[in-house]
Amino acid sequence: MTQLAYYPGCTLYTKSKNLDLCARETAQILGVELKELETWNCCGAIYSTVQDDLANQVAPVRNLIEAQKISNKLVTLCAACYNVLKRSNRNLFLKENDVYRKRMMNYLETEYDGKTEVNHYLETLKNDIGFDRVKSKVKKNLNGLKVASYYGCLMLRPSDELNFDDPDNPTMMDDMFSTIGASSVDFAFKGECCGGYILVNKPDVATKCAQTILDSIAASGAECVATTCPLCQYNIDNQQKLMSKQFNLPIFYFTQLLGLALGVDEKILNFDNHCIDPKPLLKQKGLI
Amino acid sequence: MLELNQALKEIKEDIQNLSGQILSDCYQCGECTAGCPTAFAMEPVPSQAIRLLQLNKYNEVLNSTGIWLCAACNVCGERCPRGVDYGKIADALRTIVLRNKFTHVTLEQVDKKFILDAPQQAFIAAFRKFTT
Repeated sequence: MTQLAYYPGCTLYTKSKNLDLCARETAQILGVELKELETWNCCGAIYSTVQDDLANQVAPVRNLIEAQKISNKLVTLCAACYNVLKRSNRNLFLKENDVYRKRMMNYLETEYDGKTEVNHYLETLKNDIGFDRVKSKVKKNLNGLKVASYYGCLMLRPSDELNFDDPDNPTMMDDMFSTIGASSVDFAFKGECCGGYILVNKPDVATKCAQTILDSIAASGAECVATTCPLCQYNIDNQQKLMSKQFNLPIFYFTQLLGLALGVDEKILNFDNHCIDPKPLLKQKGLI
Repeated sequence: MLELNQALKEIKEDIQNLSGQILSDCYQCGECTAGCPTAFAMEPVPSQAIRLLQLNKYNEVLNSTGIWLCAACNVCGERCPRGVDYGKIADALRTIVLRNKFTHVTLEQVDKKFILDAPQQAFIAAFRKFTT
């Protein structure tokens, strides 16, 4: 079985266990072992764009170095970890940052050449495993479940640094859902920000950002939403109860729906860990 | 309230060096503000903030609430036809305020409900952006 270095990050260890466990389980079914780094630290959760901010780059680079003990690819799931790790890795090795990088390396125990390739699990599914293989392992076709693939900001932008997908019309997650029998729904705000960490100091602003996205999703006729980011999941799921309008849209992690299709145990899928209960919808569709 | 006493030229250099952006590149088309998801609550909005900086009104922007509402989503920088990234400018402005020992958020100000409920990713990000 192919081994790929895997970085879960802080939130997946506690609040978003289902995002993490479903990914490990589905990878196993698809013939890949997501091997967790032997030791890792928090990536910092947000990329610092301040040019002289050396300290904030040390944490992500430590994880990139650790990954090399397992594979030259490092797989992540959380959109924030993906954004921070990939940008740190790229920007440190730009020619104009030579002096800056050398200074930063003085804080690290090991030399690093920038060769770790940061991948999101969706990229692993598409490029390393292949959607055809995913299709061949489907046990429970998602039966035309209308899913809105919500990418949010951290997966897509800045596109010249992340190079993940088209920043205005991303399709990677939609394609994955088509593969497992869901019906992918198009909507305008696939890459709109959910309000992110603004939740902490201005929750009313974050709620309004989330409501704008849900308005757009509800208008598209989607029955549920899939996301890659624990903070997006929280903002558009838990904040629904604070909104003036009732959407009643279940918000999944994309790995939960993938797991459902590949026959992962319901205990691992953990559909109880949601604010808007997704079980009535899944029962109605004959999926649980 | 933060009052910087450096020469105007020095403050401008600080902002440009920390952000890597050239303020005079902006020609005020407003694309950044149009795409910004939190502009409805910002004062000043991104394009206005850049205009104020072009006019050397640094203290006005540094003391504004607008710079603390940026969620770092990068829409402004992604869409700017002049290659100016307001997100990076806002990051630099917040850094100047924080390095002058003005903390924007303390743990006591945060709603207890969120402390128990929200993903820690939100707190780590917010406290990195908003505290000294």
